[in-house]
Amino acid sequence: MWVVVEEVRKSFKILLAYPVEVVFWIFSPLLWVIPLVFQGKALIGALSSTPFGALAGTDEFIPYVLIGAIISTYMFSAIWSMGNSFRDETYYGTLEHILSSPVRPAYILLGKGLYNSILSTSFVIVQLLICVFIFGLEITLVKVFPIFLFLLLLIAGLYGIGFMAAALTLLIKEAHGVLHMFEYVLFLFSPIRYPVEVNPITRAVSVFIPLTYALIALRGLLLDIEFNFWKNSIILLGIDCALLPLGLLIFHYIEKRTKTRGTLADY
Amino acid sequence: MIDNGAITVEGIYKVFKKGRSDEVRAVDGISFDIKKGELFGLLGPNGAGKTTLIKCISTLLIPDSGAVRVAGYDIYREPLEVRRHIGVLTGGERSLYWKLNPVENLRYFAALYGVPRKHVGDRIDYLLELMGLTEKAGARVEKLSSGMKQKLSIARVLVHDPPILLVDEPTLGLDPYFARFIRDFVKNELNRKQGKTILLTTHYMDEADELCGRIAFMNRGRIEAMDTPVRLKRSMPQKQVLEIKCQGAIEKEIFDRVPDAAGINITHSDGFVYVRINTDNPEMILSSMIELIQQKTKIFSVRVTAPTLEDVFVDLTGASLRNGK
Repeated sequence: MWVVVEEVRKSFKILLAYPVEVVFWIFSPLLWVIPLVFQGKALIGALSSTPFGALAGTDEFIPYVLIGAIISTYMFSAIWSMGNSFRDETYYGTLEHILSSPVRPAYILLGKGLYNSILSTSFVIVQLLICVFIFGLEITLVKVFPIFLFLLLLIAGLYGIGFMAAALTLLIKEAHGVLHMFEYVLFLFSPIRYPVEVNPITRAVSVFIPLTYALIALRGLLLDIEFNFWKNSIILLGIDCALLPLGLLIFHYIEKRTKTRGTLADY
Repeated sequence: MIDNGAITVEGIYKVFKKGRSDEVRAVDGISFDIKKGELFGLLGPNGAGKTTLIKCISTLLIPDSGAVRVAGYDIYREPLEVRRHIGVLTGGERSLYWKLNPVENLRYFAALYGVPRKHVGDRIDYLLELMGLTEKAGARVEKLSSGMKQKLSIARVLVHDPPILLVDEPTLGLDPYFARFIRDFVKNELNRKQGKTILLTTHYMDEADELCGRIAFMNRGRIEAMDTPVRLKRSMPQKQVLEIKCQGAIEKEIFDRVPDAAGINITHSDGFVYVRINTDNPEMILSSMIELIQQKTKIFSVRVTAPTLEDVFVDLTGASLRNGK
């Protein structure tokens, strides 16, 4: 496990060499929330709505969207940072040296995933504090343990998606377009900006996405909305159990394929 | 486990598909073995298949067929053991994290190679001292010169003290001072003093001649000849080389009708053209050669020398080490 710790340490040191990047990652999720708030206000003339409440379980639009935006930081992180991590190593010129070491690449990706989770969690805390003190978001932090439990369950599932994203980048090299599409699909079918109950298709697809259950639970815990704790945690655990091995399996297959085709370090 | 064999390669093939029908035979049925403690050179022009072969041996590329054992371990079945016993050094500057300092780089690679944590500090201190980088220990890699970066790359490769080193074009892009240092270090420190087995690939004939106990000439994915540098040079049918230094454009074809001229190699360096002709009778062909060349270019000097490895390579393959044609 030392290599995982060193991967985290290395990634942080490289990140801190680019301080502007840190500021960008803290504020960008909030910047895309504000237009949504204005849009909601323009559409319904207020920031609370009864039809919205019937679908979302809360009339308050701002807290709902803010929490969706903040928690989706983890999703961004899994798709982009883990997905592009080996591409970054190719850019540094270190990928072949990492892959010719006796460490299984899964441990490297795990280290990168852990680094992203720590980074995302610190950003989430900063974002929540900004929301509380600037936007007047009211959250109940008495249920700290369940909040962390659901975050852990969410992160584990997203690692599986991160492994798949890393495999995809290894395979097609320039995966920005596909990763964007991946991100948009998750946005469309997860209750980040709106309740998925608004449309039968989004509701049907959302049951396969871990972010759905994590957002239901975390909004429930942070905004005191009623939800089924056990149902959401068990489903999330089940999705994790499927996504993690599937992500590793796909990554292992793609790694072998690129080693056979000789395209490992291409980019 | 093979007791005295460090690397054994048996009939390996690697073909890359280019488009629907085209394919490139990068490694075309190569076999050789390298003994423990040997400094073995793979010499060939760019595109000969040297790097592909190194990648197969280091498990970064899966061959289409054939067998490779490294330190007694099979690359297909025991890739992690293979990687534990090798260090891969490549030329060029980008094999380190430029935003980290040398200590941070070495600590990371020590973790990758499973160096016990309690030994890492001492190992890093030793390697920085060995490479003369102690004073630069806290400086970001991006601030180091190209030569220092290559020294740090060597320290990186040695961090887990591997018995076998795969060294791919180690002096590529380095100035003569650092290139000299790297050559001396590879030969005297790593091979002679530390007893490491080294597989060196290069397209610099002088480098291979100076460093290697045995050399394999590689061209178009095949090994054309393999022996000690001295024996390879002795094996050439023509025992002398006529070298004409000139300036201007010159085509190889103009020498087609010169009798007693075997391999002809034309290279360019420092604004001059060097025409080297393998021959047994330099005096016999001298006048006809000068006449031919003077029609096209201005001659600066003419001399007769002993064959170099490049002359042997040209004689064997008809290709030049420098441009692979």
